[in-house]
Amino acid sequence: MPVIVREKAEKPFVPKPDDDLLVCRCEEVTKGDIREAVHAGLRTFGEVKRYSRVGMGLCQGQTCQRLVRHIIASELGIAIDGVGRVKGRAPMEPVIMKELALSRRDSKGVDDYAE
Amino acid sequence: MRIASHPVIEDYVKGKPVRFFFDGEEAEGCEGEPVAAALKALGVKIHRYTVNRHEPRGVFCAIGRCTDCVMTVDGMPNVRTCVTPLAGGMRVETQDGLAPLKARRVE
Amino acid sequence: MKRYEMIVIGAGPAGLSAACVAAEAGMDVVVFDENQRPGGQLFKQIHKFFGSREHQAGIRGVKIGENLLESAKNAGVKVVLGATVLGIYKNKELAVRFGGAVHNYKADAVVIAAGASENMMTFDGWTKPGVMGAGAAQTLMNLHGVRPGKRVLTVGSGNVGLVVSFQLLQAGCDVVAIIDAAPRIGGYGVHAAKLARMGIPFHTSHTIVKALGGDFVDGAVIAETDEAFAPKPGTEKNLDVDTICIAVGLSPMSRLADNAGCDIVYDGAKGGYVPLLSDEGETSLSGIFCAGDVCGIEEASSAMIQGKIAAAAAARDLGYLSGEDFIQKTGEYKDSLKKIRSGMFGPESKGRADIARTDEGYPLSRSLLQRGFIADDEVTGFPSIAHGGGTRAVIECTQNIPCDPCQDICPQGCIEVGENITSLPALTGNKECIGCGLCVGVCSGQAIFLINDDFEAGYGTVGLPYEFLPLPEKGAVGRALDRSGKEICDAVVVETVNSKAMGKTPMLVMKVPTASLAGARFFRADADGARKGG
Repeated sequence: MPVIVREKAEKPFVPKPDDDLLVCRCEEVTKGDIREAVHAGLRTFGEVKRYSRVGMGLCQGQTCQRLVRHIIASELGIAIDGVGRVKGRAPMEPVIMKELALSRRDSKGVDDYAE
Repeated sequence: MRIASHPVIEDYVKGKPVRFFFDGEEAEGCEGEPVAAALKALGVKIHRYTVNRHEPRGVFCAIGRCTDCVMTVDGMPNVRTCVTPLAGGMRVETQDGLAPLKARRVE
Repeated sequence: MKRYEMIVIGAGPAGLSAACVAAEAGMDVVVFDENQRPGGQLFKQIHKFFGSREHQAGIRGVKIGENLLESAKNAGVKVVLGATVLGIYKNKELAVRFGGAVHNYKADAVVIAAGASENMMTFDGWTKPGVMGAGAAQTLMNLHGVRPGKRVLTVGSGNVGLVVSFQLLQAGCDVVAIIDAAPRIGGYGVHAAKLARMGIPFHTSHTIVKALGGDFVDGAVIAETDEAFAPKPGTEKNLDVDTICIAVGLSPMSRLADNAGCDIVYDGAKGGYVPLLSDEGETSLSGIFCAGDVCGIEEASSAMIQGKIAAAAAARDLGYLSGEDFIQKTGEYKDSLKKIRSGMFGPESKGRADIARTDEGYPLSRSLLQRGFIADDEVTGFPSIAHGGGTRAVIECTQNIPCDPCQDICPQGCIEVGENITSLPALTGNKECIGCGLCVGVCSGQAIFLINDDFEAGYGTVGLPYEFLPLPEKGAVGRALDRSGKEICDAVVVETVNSKAMGKTPMLVMKVPTASLAGARFFRADADGARKGG
């Protein structure tokens, strides 16, 4: 495993009036939380996500991902495509355990399940 | 809030009227329409209160993406009401954090 | 593991079109869609489509959806609804959830047509019930028959914001205002014009600052924007609304392609992260194709063609289509795609603010771009807005958008767009208009008016598209509104044309004084709320 070293910014964190604005609606992460994560040295969406839980709620970042990328890019003063994305991973949406437990490798054709 | 007549849409694909329970009170909707649509038609705006800030949330994307409209349905929390078809006898409850609201709030 | 020759993800315009082409070529095709109903956005798109005959121009999205489902059924396509594709794994294996369990299938070819998701913007109070995506409003009213609210503010003046605002009015809601942070309206001028003439105000260079209210929205604060799109202090205005619709663009849903391992690139012009594709829509992984908004934000017409191209390529690769047939088929598809992508709103011009003139050299109406209506002094310059003499069509179509059904429908050949479907329509001048009103009904932008100067002494008539309930009856009295929605004179309805050929866009003919013929563009009946449906 490569070790990623991140250092806190040298300048003190400067609060802004809209830091209390919710950005991630699911996990209730604010703009200030994201800015602080960047100030703490985190550079990409993936890093900020693991640090702050932004985009880790029920909707899996489908609503806030773009907003968060913009905030990170603006904090770092870089272009939006430099922030990276969250890799699309299965399952695409939360699945209840029972359904996963009923996962079948030997599924019949879809016609056989028709009501 | 239901649209009785529309200049372009002749009729909406709707099931038969059914009774269900919203926060313990009997209500009416159409079978098969999303629970959220039935609630919207009744004028319900608040579907849940969030875990941390206890802030109200309602329908936001209406297509099952954002999960803001989740409620407790037949005892199961976090059910996306905008993509869950309404069925007769369904128990739909405003969700408070992850649990149903104990008592119905009076607006 | 059960194997299908083609698995399509998404039963919207792109996915269904792909499935039809593959199934017609003889492939065993299954389509998975997470929704309870197929059709994607088509069944919410109750407006008439733009384009040419081959793009089904002048036909409503709903009808196009019905036709597509019918074709899919006839071709033997299996559509499984309520089925979410959870992941795409090595060797084109898919995990699909439906019927309370997760099933695994293998495909020889996969077409990802998962569509797009709505962009959002943050502002104080944006999480309150009553703030929603424009798509949510459209879903509630057009699919489920429920009004999203009573008084609505639309944020964003792209085509989605404009079309949804008009549909809100058709559903019986009030649209209080449409705002856009940019200094100009983003969508088609014709879409803006049909709202402006009903008196809906446009505030360009404005943004939303705050959603007011306690547990839900009971107002909104908007403010002017500076060059950086930030609100200017001191310019705040309060609006009395209970619903705020956000229409600030879409992002491609490329997550599944990403999950499959396809190369993904960031392309701002396409709306975000998109799969890297060949001309045929194939991703970096052989046999995995993408079509529709997943590849970059466009609209349903191009999505359908992209789906066909991808499926034809898959059919060729699997031996269901000969090389010659493929070239012949896709040649037509590609020509059709090129046509629909042309013009000042096409993907290549997207976001350009420097276009000042039409292809023909006419200066664009600045008032249309800023306020949603052509100013009186700008109106006369266009080729189809000539005045004087008998009955004739006045076509207030002043931007190069890809659309030509007016040319096809006129039984007299009075209207000419020409080979290039983005050209402004012109009146040929050598043919006699019979006043049938078919052009008024077919125009997707509702930009055609039928003017008759010689109705009776001192009066003429204006025929206008009127897609609202109740349709005023002959003899109804009211006021004529001009392009900006201002009442300019009394008006009496002398006729309504609502034959089947009008396609549910009735033409209302109102009598106004001759002096008002050039300006009167909408009718408001006197009776309380008569304009509203439902």
